[in-house]
Amino acid sequence: MHPIEIRLPSDTSVLEPLQLIIEAVGKSAKVEVDDLSLLSVSVVELAKNAMEHGNKNDPEKTVTVSFNIFPNRIRFMIDDEGSWEPEKALGFNPGEGEELLLTRGRGVLIARNLAKWVEFGLTPEGKTRVTLIWPLN
Amino acid sequence: MNIKQQMKGDVLVVALSGKVIGGPELMEVKDVFQKAVDQDKKKVLLDLGRVNWMDSSGLGVIVSGHTTLSRAGGSLRILNATKKIHELFIITKLITIFETYTDEQEALNSFGD
Repeated sequence: MHPIEIRLPSDTSVLEPLQLIIEAVGKSAKVEVDDLSLLSVSVVELAKNAMEHGNKNDPEKTVTVSFNIFPNRIRFMIDDEGSWEPEKALGFNPGEGEELLLTRGRGVLIARNLAKWVEFGLTPEGKTRVTLIWPLN
Repeated sequence: MNIKQQMKGDVLVVALSGKVIGGPELMEVKDVFQKAVDQDKKKVLLDLGRVNWMDSSGLGVIVSGHTTLSRAGGSLRILNATKKIHELFIITKLITIFETYTDEQEALNSFGD
């Protein structure tokens, strides 16, 4: 089955609508009500990273959030128009030492902790793709 | 997101409500901390009890406030972080640098230490 796709400009004003959409997706997949905001935080964090690192916050460039609902999981894929290297762009430990007091860079850490599976890779066209799996009970 | 400010004794209580999500609104919160320092209000209690959604952008602004106040010899403390926000503080280890409270009076008294 083809995933459902949402195409977003790289503009932070779309984050709140995205949050609402993701929670609606979670609700339709019967994610526990208490977990809906954790799911939306995870996806919004990754979409923000795609806008910033992949698209350099250029509103003309899009971030595509697509999803499939399977019997035991939801799979989200967040694609941007760049070819950035996550470990290079995010290569620090925001929870350690002096980096604890940095004002940014915690998005992937949060998404990786809230979701059970977050993996960076490439689309067939060589663009950065993040895959997030949210298990369903 | 809404911001309310109120002096309680010599402590500035800043109450946020709604969604704390990335975007220009967050600059307003940052400005609150800077203005507090400019006005010599160096004891700030941030009430998150009515925040129903927050991401790393919100945490970043709180860290910025902590740095601004600490450099001025002040302190930023947290009141009523919801369970989910508390979890974000734990994940990011920010729990190690912030004093958090669930009782306002106890939080206000803590500044007198």
